[in-house]
Amino acid sequence: MAIQLQQVSYTYSERSLWRQTALHGIDFELPQGTMVGIAGATGSGKSTLLQLLNGILRPTQGTVSVLDITLRAGEKAPKLLPLRRRVGLVFQFPEQQMFAETVEKDLCFGPLNFGMSPDEARERACRAMLDMGLDLALLERNPFRLSGGQMRKAAIASVLAADPEIVVLDEPTASLDPVSRKELIGLLTRLCRERGRTVIIVTHRMDELLPYADRWVILDQGRSVFQGSVRELAADPSLLTRCGLAVPDSLRYWRAVADRLGLEDEEPRLTPEGLAELIVSRESGSSGRVGEKGTGHE
Amino acid sequence: MNERDRKGHSAEHGPDAIVLKDVSFGYDPENPILHGLSLRIPQGQWVSLVGESGSGKSTLVKLLNALLPKSAGEITVCGEKLSEESILSIRRTIGMVFQNPDNQFVGETVEEDILFGLEGLCLSREEMDRRLRLYAGKLGISGLLAKHPGELSGGQKQRVAIVSILAMEPGVVIFDEASSMLDEESRNGLLDILRDMHAEGYTILMITHDADEILASQRVLALCGGGLAGDMTPAELFRSPGLMEECRLHAPYAWELSRKLEALGLAIGVPASEKELVETLWPFNCSK
Repeated sequence: MAIQLQQVSYTYSERSLWRQTALHGIDFELPQGTMVGIAGATGSGKSTLLQLLNGILRPTQGTVSVLDITLRAGEKAPKLLPLRRRVGLVFQFPEQQMFAETVEKDLCFGPLNFGMSPDEARERACRAMLDMGLDLALLERNPFRLSGGQMRKAAIASVLAADPEIVVLDEPTASLDPVSRKELIGLLTRLCRERGRTVIIVTHRMDELLPYADRWVILDQGRSVFQGSVRELAADPSLLTRCGLAVPDSLRYWRAVADRLGLEDEEPRLTPEGLAELIVSRESGSSGRVGEKGTGHE
Repeated sequence: MNERDRKGHSAEHGPDAIVLKDVSFGYDPENPILHGLSLRIPQGQWVSLVGESGSGKSTLVKLLNALLPKSAGEITVCGEKLSEESILSIRRTIGMVFQNPDNQFVGETVEEDILFGLEGLCLSREEMDRRLRLYAGKLGISGLLAKHPGELSGGQKQRVAIVSILAMEPGVVIFDEASSMLDEESRNGLLDILRDMHAEGYTILMITHDADEILASQRVLALCGGGLAGDMTPAELFRSPGLMEECRLHAPYAWELSRKLEALGLAIGVPASEKELVETLWPFNCSK
């Protein structure tokens, strides 16, 4: 198990009048090498949860186990440096944390700090660049001269350079254009599938992650209200509405088609390509209405 | 929103909100960022401005309210030609809403923040109060006026930023990727606000790459390499895969689905909803 949370609660300013509990009794287990989406409305506790995963916050109740490191409420914390190296946390707008005059220096900063030799650091930096689909020629460039999408990828690469086993990202695609967003999700999926990393993504845009995530965790007012596969989530998307989230188009269209055709046991088709293929395969047997009816915006 | 109490530009100056004639801009004349751009945006039109980063969208917007000096050409905003003398007046005519509302907060409370913008307009205290109540009410933030901007959620902050702009009663409102940092619910909320503003007659120019926002607008201007690569309806844009790729855009889900179906030989047009899709494909009377 990469991550296990048992009855975890977190309360901000616990000993003051302004105490505020952000998470209530969260239980979950995330197996190694999975791609996990975490969604929830604003204020649902997503950011708090994320900060518990590499020891920035410690649970006020319960136990957080990440890899072989355990943080128990009320106990003295173990050394956090190994945890910080093994869990890479990518904050929102990570490019705002870039500071060095070349991309290479920025990428080597983490590995050097974690005690790697300069050669090893450079090698890690190169691998991280390739993992993020970036040309090695960019290593010599000033990070602030890259395009928005490249800068975002380079900033994520600087977290990957420390070679974390778990990568946690907070809204990694925010404010990128749709094509860059899709590219980035594709790269993160490869990182999980081909390099065996556990990738955890907090997102406001469930749409773009739905076809790729193995598991979802949905938070509502500090409680975990859903944990499971996309298939389970697709069985009852109204759960999202109850949590103040919009049901993504891909899920609404899948649900409508699946309901009409009675496809209870099928794997959800959540891309336009996938759903179109399914529709055509089911449509070919029926009457010749194809092409007769133009509707909608046409 | 149905009161028409803003400046009556249409009566005084004719129907165009923005006119550009051969406008160019560049730090290096050999390598202009915008070159020879001409276009006309009528009053009350809702326009999406699209293009990949570096295509000149933000430059165009900055030229409009003279945050950058044009190198050549002529810009007219609500009948007023942009010149040294008219800069201040034109800046009052154009309201800007940015991507990150945090960057435009100055006050200790939401109310103070909204009033700050109005103080520069030499209005009476009564008029300032009237506008504050009116626009805060329209955007549903009356309950937030005493709060510190830091206490608000992203969607609430964006509403406050919009109220600050609308209270100045501009003739044209420009949104610079105003929804890109919002969650989905707040994005939908912003879309409702834009629809209301459009119904009320505001001229809206919106830099965006959000498919739903583009679809809701009336017209798309696509910039590419500093020139106009397309001037069309959203439907025409979503039927032009080449231009969409150039501008790094995706079509809304229903459009993508319809295109994939068509490629597989099933041309049913673009469904307006998932319900319409299944009704079209499998009407109840011959359902399986």
